[in-house]
Amino acid sequence: MAKDRLSEVLERYEAVIGLEIHTELTSLKSKMFCGCPVEFGGEPNTRVCPVCLGLPGALPVPNEAAVEATVLAGLAVNCDIALWSQFHRKQYFYPDMPKDYQISQYDLPFCSGGHLDVEVDGDAVFQRVDRDSEEEYTARIGITRIHLEEDTGKMIHVGGAEGRISGAEKSLVDFNRAGTPLMELVSEPDIRTPEEARRFAQKLRLIMLTLGVSDCSMEEGSMRVDGNISIRLRGEIELGTKSEIKNMNSFKALHDALAYEIVRQADLMDVGERVVQETRHWDVGAKRTSMLRSKEEAHDYRYFPEPDMVPFAFTEEWVESIAQRVPELPDAKRERFMGTWDLPKYDAVVLTSDLAMAGFFEAAVAQTGPARAKSVANTMINDFSAHLNAEGIGVDESPVKPSMLAELVVLVDDGTISGKQAKEVFSAMVKTGEAPAVIVEARNMRQVSDTSAIEAVVDAIIAANPDEVASYRGGKIGLVGWFVGQVMREMRGQGNPKVVNEVLRRKLG
Amino acid sequence: MAISESDVRHVALLARLALTDGQVSSLQTELNSILGHIDELQGLDLADVQPTAHALEVTNSMRPDVVKPCLSRELALRNAPEAEGGAFVIPAMAGAGEDV
Ligand SMILES: [Zn+2]
Repeated sequence: MAKDRLSEVLERYEAVIGLEIHTELTSLKSKMFCGCPVEFGGEPNTRVCPVCLGLPGALPVPNEAAVEATVLAGLAVNCDIALWSQFHRKQYFYPDMPKDYQISQYDLPFCSGGHLDVEVDGDAVFQRVDRDSEEEYTARIGITRIHLEEDTGKMIHVGGAEGRISGAEKSLVDFNRAGTPLMELVSEPDIRTPEEARRFAQKLRLIMLTLGVSDCSMEEGSMRVDGNISIRLRGEIELGTKSEIKNMNSFKALHDALAYEIVRQADLMDVGERVVQETRHWDVGAKRTSMLRSKEEAHDYRYFPEPDMVPFAFTEEWVESIAQRVPELPDAKRERFMGTWDLPKYDAVVLTSDLAMAGFFEAAVAQTGPARAKSVANTMINDFSAHLNAEGIGVDESPVKPSMLAELVVLVDDGTISGKQAKEVFSAMVKTGEAPAVIVEARNMRQVSDTSAIEAVVDAIIAANPDEVASYRGGKIGLVGWFVGQVMREMRGQGNPKVVNEVLRRKLG
Repeated sequence: MAISESDVRHVALLARLALTDGQVSSLQTELNSILGHIDELQGLDLADVQPTAHALEVTNSMRPDVVKPCLSRELALRNAPEAEGGAFVIPAMAGAGEDV
């Protein structure tokens, strides 16, 4: 979709967006209410038991670590933790839910009333046309609640188009995922643009990764984002009719689906039609949403307290003990990177937006010393990131280790090799996995910084080029670059450019 | 609090029960007599009694995050009317409630 069309619509309409984000607690060993292991994939129905198959008489017992992880997550996003809470049964009939109800939470969730601050910068600032400024800004997004529930099984529809249920002859059900601890976060409808929605989800993901409660894989479905979205004419207070968007399984899909939906709703309203309350499905290939079900088919869940489990009574002391376990969160880490090593905000944001990147940086700086932190940051943001992107790999998969990058930075910094040579060493490092010093030695790249050695070459060049020397002395000082080139060629690129420059200016001047 | 005929039909729909008109009428009577007991409770002075969903004075019953043995797949599928490739087979479902 053209950015122009979205901006044109956003000039007239304001979007009101709330997100529901499901996160599987994949770092736990066992399921929510039984001892079956939590894993991804595997042969169908090999991780099931009477509890997660919903067999009659089986009794669920909540996983203490899942409850703690949810409270930990709540504390990390500024929620209040309920001192009294319980599970409810949510009734609905669908074959991926063997009990015909899902154990979830209703009016007494573990966490409520939190918020996240989301920073928006760059091109997408334009989406907030009401802000009247192109400056970056921070939006505070309320978090209504976080509750704990069990995930469903997985279904494969056979015989229908694109594996969807319509037209399918039959469906195959695998309950390996059924009963996986699942945290659901519901945001307030405080989000105003697709970009804010994306940043909110990205930040939440980084926080969950930092807490170590989930691998948050949008591809594998361990983090799933649904959105509620309506639009209203600017200045209007009353909310429009909302649609719910599903199947946005990447951050780009989240952004694009919401942008599409804003324009779709505006198109309807512009010609005097009504937006219908319904659930819509994002088709990433066709880049559009289509109706999944209308409000008339909406569920009546008939929640009631789960009789098989007793309530939870937490003490302030217990909540405090969980609060002690909240690690350094992304915002704090970014501030520390800026404060401790005097990094610019941009560098700190890039380095702390990926846990492995931040860990790599800290390990490398531990070796180079804090004075070279900026050089480490530069090498990581430029050469290292380019290498990761080119290979399509994560930090941990790279042959380049923190000690190697640190060594490279030191070699440049102490003048052993030039910045230009460093690029060559970096490429060699990526290919061979060898340490920089080994590469420098093997290729005889050692930079010559020894003043007397450079002076000898400079003297020879000056003696061999009297005309150029005369022009330089006559005022054509731009010729210094030419002299540097001559010296470097003579030294096969191994002269320290800084020293070569110094010596040349001294001898010529 | 009386249960109407349409309440019975709505709950039957939610529970995917196909009731005959005769069953609707008899269930309406039965449900109303059960709920009649609630009316008796509502006649009591319960101002000082906390609402509760549980009769037990027990809280925080949890288990440690420890893996236990699962059922064998053979056993898990034993009661399934139909199985294929280790999965439970569900006949074609029409219409509402599609989730992907
Ligand atoms: Zn189980």
